[in-house]
Amino acid sequence: MRHRLRDPVTGLLFVLPVLVLFLIFRIFPSLGAVGMSLTNWNVSGDWSLIGADNYARLFEDVNFWRSLRVTLVYAAVYVPLTLVVALGTALLLNRVVFMRGLFRGMLFLPYVTSFVLAGVLWRWIYEFDGLINGLIGKLDLGPVAFLEEASLVLPALAVVSVWKGFGYSMLILLAGLKSIPASYLEAATVDGAGSWQKFRRITLPLLKPTLFFVLIIETISAFQVFDTIYVMTGGGPARASYTLIYGIYDHGFRFFDFGYAATWGVVLFAIVLVVSLIQRRFLDRGNT
Amino acid sequence: MTITATRPLTRERAAGRPPRRRARWPLAALLAVLSLLTVAPFLAMFVVALSPAGRPTLPAQWPESLTLDNLTAVLSASGFVEWTVNSIVYSVVSVVIILLTASMAGYAFAKKRFPGRDAMFWTFLATMMVPFQATLIPTFVLVNSLDGVDTFWGLIVPTLANSQAVFLMRQFIMGLPDELFDAAKVDGASELRVYLTIVVPLTKPIMATLGVFVFLWHWNDFLWPLVVGQSDATRTLTVGLAGLRTEEMQLTMLMSSATISVIPCLLVFFLLQRYLVNSIAMTGFK
Repeated sequence: MRHRLRDPVTGLLFVLPVLVLFLIFRIFPSLGAVGMSLTNWNVSGDWSLIGADNYARLFEDVNFWRSLRVTLVYAAVYVPLTLVVALGTALLLNRVVFMRGLFRGMLFLPYVTSFVLAGVLWRWIYEFDGLINGLIGKLDLGPVAFLEEASLVLPALAVVSVWKGFGYSMLILLAGLKSIPASYLEAATVDGAGSWQKFRRITLPLLKPTLFFVLIIETISAFQVFDTIYVMTGGGPARASYTLIYGIYDHGFRFFDFGYAATWGVVLFAIVLVVSLIQRRFLDRGNT
Repeated sequence: MTITATRPLTRERAAGRPPRRRARWPLAALLAVLSLLTVAPFLAMFVVALSPAGRPTLPAQWPESLTLDNLTAVLSASGFVEWTVNSIVYSVVSVVIILLTASMAGYAFAKKRFPGRDAMFWTFLATMMVPFQATLIPTFVLVNSLDGVDTFWGLIVPTLANSQAVFLMRQFIMGLPDELFDAAKVDGASELRVYLTIVVPLTKPIMATLGVFVFLWHWNDFLWPLVVGQSDATRTLTVGLAGLRTEEMQLTMLMSSATISVIPCLLVFFLLQRYLVNSIAMTGFK
């Protein structure tokens, strides 16, 4: 009986370090973001309450709307592309037995490296005298200025993130594929179903929950892209790759306009929340 | 075995068509090509890093000979070694503290009763919904007001509040039988002893997995080190690497720097690949 009475204290003591860290560095800044967005906080630390002025300024800021569009276009390229690549490689890994472990490892390798490294490598790959232009130059094509062309820069950046990250979704989808009972597919084969029919009628419906999970995760990561943009384009050319996160960084650490930068952060949070809630609704509907 | 039972049936149906085994070779070839394309940027990086300096190399032509000169030059350049040491400190210290605090909290959340436990746990989980970038500015202002900018504690401490780690530890410890903990208490073991002799040994596999992930997250981390590590004294390798430009240094040197920065990731990958792959599939850890 005695140890039950002691539990409240020891339990709290074990949680205490994490509790303190969370209160100070997660919860306080989360509330602080909203608080700061209502001030004109600047680099000197001086501030006064200015109400919703930052939000009014944000909604009239051409660069905000442009960055929202940039982020959405980027996500619209990145998310389908990464899902197709991840699903395609997962399906291949599920079918092919020959050296499967090696291929899985090779496809997964970029995932363990950093986005900065990906940015450094692909900045070179995309250059005028880089790998891609070197190759298409041999066919008397190009050179193509992937990172200097406003219409090409977002797809070019999306390809880098797909290369860096698809291994994660591939592994999740591969685990989903493995959990589909082989007897279902065998029964379909016996009934004379072709590969496409089996994929369309059995694999895809049973994989749906996994696909939705990957969709949500990848959508959120699309909204958080920053490192590759910092390394490869600096938001350019002419703000063609200036995303929401880049806006937070730019207003915070180039203009030191902390109150306004915090406002960008709050709006980013709201957008990510709305997008994941919408997707979750579809997910729930898909399950029932 | 259902497979052997159905095989003759499918053979009959597929009569006249080539056997299924051979039909898979194009898929294997496609997979091989995709795998090679995926690792090609790394291979190109290695080749350039090992090429003699000042000569044209990939993609124009393959180097005539290979050398380690660039790698040794990078390691003797000012700053680079400092950045590497800083990255090691940032990653290793974070791994140790997160493993310790998250396993303690995970144990309490899983096996202890105390007031506010569930509310606290769900609040932790809710903070996962807030992207770090949304709180970047207030976190920086807070650390700045505590004089933590350009210090190691300012770099490390704010990244230790890791809800994924606490969640993973709690889920794992919940799966351990209660009888283990009750028996130890009946024997009169202190709470600290229970933690050290039961929780720590039994959570070794999940701690190893978590340790690998935390190491990679920190080694590869960029935005927070970028704003906090403002001089070479606390700048990490990712931030240093991001600042290197081919306008100021030869491509061979840049690729050598990149190669050195990726070595710990490759070591982790080659030694613990099976571990990483299994834990992503099981936990959805990212």
